[in-house]
This record gives sequence, C-alpha cells and structure tokens, in this order.
Amino acid sequence: MRSFNLLYWILWKDILSEIRNRAALVSMLFFALNIILIFSVSFSMSDLEEMMPGLIWTAFGFTAVIGLSTSFVAETHNQCLEYYRLLPTPKGMIYLGKLCGNLLFIVIVGLALLPLFVLFLGLHVRQLSWLIAVVFLGALGLANLGTLFSALTVNLRAREVLFPLLLLPLSVPVFIGATEATAGILRGAPQAAYRHWLDLLGIFDLIFTLLSFWMFEWILDE
Amino acid sequence: MSVTAILGVDVSKSYRYDLVLSSISLKVARGECYTLLGANGSGKTTLLRLFATLLAPTAGTIEIEGHHSLTQKPEARAHLFFIGHASHLYDDLTAIENIRFALGMRGISVGPSEIKQAIDVMGMGPFGRYKTRHLSKGMQKRLAFAKALLARPRVLLLDEPYASLDEPGIETVNACLKDFLAQGAAVLMSSHDRAHAAAVTHRAGVLRQHLLQEISPSDLPRSYALF
Repeated sequence: MRSFNLLYWILWKDILSEIRNRAALVSMLFFALNIILIFSVSFSMSDLEEMMPGLIWTAFGFTAVIGLSTSFVAETHNQCLEYYRLLPTPKGMIYLGKLCGNLLFIVIVGLALLPLFVLFLGLHVRQLSWLIAVVFLGALGLANLGTLFSALTVNLRAREVLFPLLLLPLSVPVFIGATEATAGILRGAPQAAYRHWLDLLGIFDLIFTLLSFWMFEWILDE
Repeated sequence: MSVTAILGVDVSKSYRYDLVLSSISLKVARGECYTLLGANGSGKTTLLRLFATLLAPTAGTIEIEGHHSLTQKPEARAHLFFIGHASHLYDDLTAIENIRFALGMRGISVGPSEIKQAIDVMGMGPFGRYKTRHLSKGMQKRLAFAKALLARPRVLLLDEPYASLDEPGIETVNACLKDFLAQGAAVLMSSHDRAHAAAVTHRAGVLRQHLLQEISPSDLPRSYALF
C-alpha cells in the first residue's frame, strides 16, 4: 500500500507541475501541429490513404520523443533525484509513477492528434475503440523506453545526443507494430488480420515495464 | 547507557586513486550532536554522504540505528534525514506542496494544521504559499528543516546547516536541533560556523589530511588553528 502511495505522489507532483508550467504538453502539441501542417501541404489527398498509418505514427512517435526527452530534467533541478535515492521505499514504484505521468501526457497528445488528422488530412476513422487501443499500447511502449532512457541519461552531458540514439532504435518494434495495426484498422480489416500486431505491442510493453521496474533501483543508486 | 545511533568503523573513501578519508571511526549516540570541522575539501561532505548511504565506502562499515549502510539500505534510510547543499525542492510547487510531496514519498501523512505549525515554527509564515522558485536560499533551508520536523527522523545528517541563514534563522535552526536532541535523535553535522555550532554540539572532530581528530567541544570557537 505504501508503495502505491509513492506512485500516487509522483503522479500528483508531475500533473501539478505540468498544469503550472505546461512545458511538455505545449511543446508536444506545437510540434505535432507543425508536422501535420507540413504533411497536409506535401501530399495530395490521393496519396494519403495508403500513407496515413505511417504519417500518424511519424507525427505521434516523434512528438512523444520531444516530451519524453525532458521527463527527468525537472528531477535534476535542486537534485531532487537525490531525495528519491534517500527514500527507504522500493525505487521501482518511482519508475511506475514517472511512467504513468509520461503515458498520460502522451495519450492526451495522441488523442488530440486524431481530430487534427481528420481536419487537415481527411482521416476516416474506423473502429475507434481499437484505434484508441493501438494508440494506448504504442504510447505505453514509447513511454516505457522514454522513461527508462531519460532516467539513464539525465545526468550525462551528452544527454540530448544519447537519448534519441538509445530510444529510437529500440522503438522500432513499437513503430512497426503500431503502424501495421493502425493500417489494418483504417482499412476496416477484420480484427484477426491485425491482432498479432496488438499482441506484439502488448508483449513488448509487458517486458519493458517489468525490466525497467526491476532495473530502476540500480539506475537510481548508480 | 547511551545507545549508538550512528556508527562508522575504519571508514575509508577514495575517488579512483585519490584518498579522501582514511580509517575514520565515529560513534554518535542517541540524543548527541557531533560536529565535523575542517577546511574546504577536507572530506566533510563526503563523510556525511557516506553516512547518508549516498556513497559506498571503499573500506570499513557504517551502521545507522544498527542497520548496515550497504546490505540494509532501506532499513538504514528509514531512520535518517539528510539536509545537504541541494534543497530537493520542485520549483513549480509551493512550499506547502513540497512538504506534502516529500513526506508523502516517505509514507508519512500530515494534516494541514501540522504543516502550518512546522512552517510557523521555522519562521516562514506567509512563505508557505509561495512557489519555491520565489523563495530565497535561506527560506529554502528553513523549509528543509520544516520537512525534517514533520518527518521526525532518529538520525539527522546536516551539511552546513547554517549556510544562507540569517541570525534569527540560525537561532530557529538551533532551537529545532535542541528539540530533536531532547527527543533522542542523533545529529551529525558539518559546519564552518563554529560559534553557532558550539551551542548544540556535544562532541566535535576536525578532518585533516584524511583523518578525523576529536577535539573538545569547548575548543570549537577557537579551533581554526587545527585546520
């Protein structure tokens, strides 16, 4: 119970800080808006249907990277990470708290992107509940990797270079799985045709959540 | 019989090939305040960070309330509270919100009246509602002590507790430390402010050339020559 308190307080602090400074959400939304505007003037409507899943995950994926890259920066101001190290509680719950906060912000941006795609690129939304499920699973995969690598690189001088270098190659399974599943959903294909991609995303999310939870104690103490 | 709260036996620390501390042995009992003195770079902060479990000793053993600092970290950490040079504050939260967060993370639930009381004791008054980005270093130090007051640790580790504080602030901190000591907490602190430290110190030692040399607390105000 005490461990879940930890998760609650991290989430409370991250949401309150974001409401006050709006740093992550505003930068992500403006970046996403720019990408969608560039897409809308670069491609003709006839090309878009085939390319739509790739465009969605290019916009969503890189927008998420923008937000995730600064996930642990606030923790370094006034050496707040040191306070986490001094806590007697399991550090994995701190990871889960940060993960939940990051996931929340990414999903908010992801859901805000869908109407923009409808408005600017003429996206025809089918099977909305499954599309939201893919956005959630993809966001969880990216949030997992982003939270882990943001924590790993936060004290390094080359953080800005190392973070995308570590994150992007390992995100390939998320991008492929999410893009393929989105393509199936937007084609209106039966669920069985893209179910295996959802399974891939789910397994990836589970493995990285458990691995990161276990590794975080070591990351924080070292 | 006095009960040992902080124990270090033959503690050494090296950074790569640079020796910082050599075979330091130190025992602080409950209700006792030990003050570390020494020139800049003599290893005071390193020694405090070793006892705070933030660093691992190269050799020797450290125990906090009987719990080994390496093999029983969570148990040792449950008893200690460290106030160092960093404030551990989130700039976008108010002082009160920072207290709620810090204590919540330690599993301590406190009501608004208790927080207000701690803030008043530390002489922060209306600053409790200010975002901490707007607080001076002195107010941030008072806030750190307000957190400690509510956390009620058995071991208090303080790195330069009087730094950035004005005279009333120092008096408030010393009153707060006397209260901690009266309730049986052990205090290990480093300070350059020997005159103010003397008011709460029971035992003292000077770190010089990697070694700790114990001195009489009555020598504290004129101990500069020992550096």
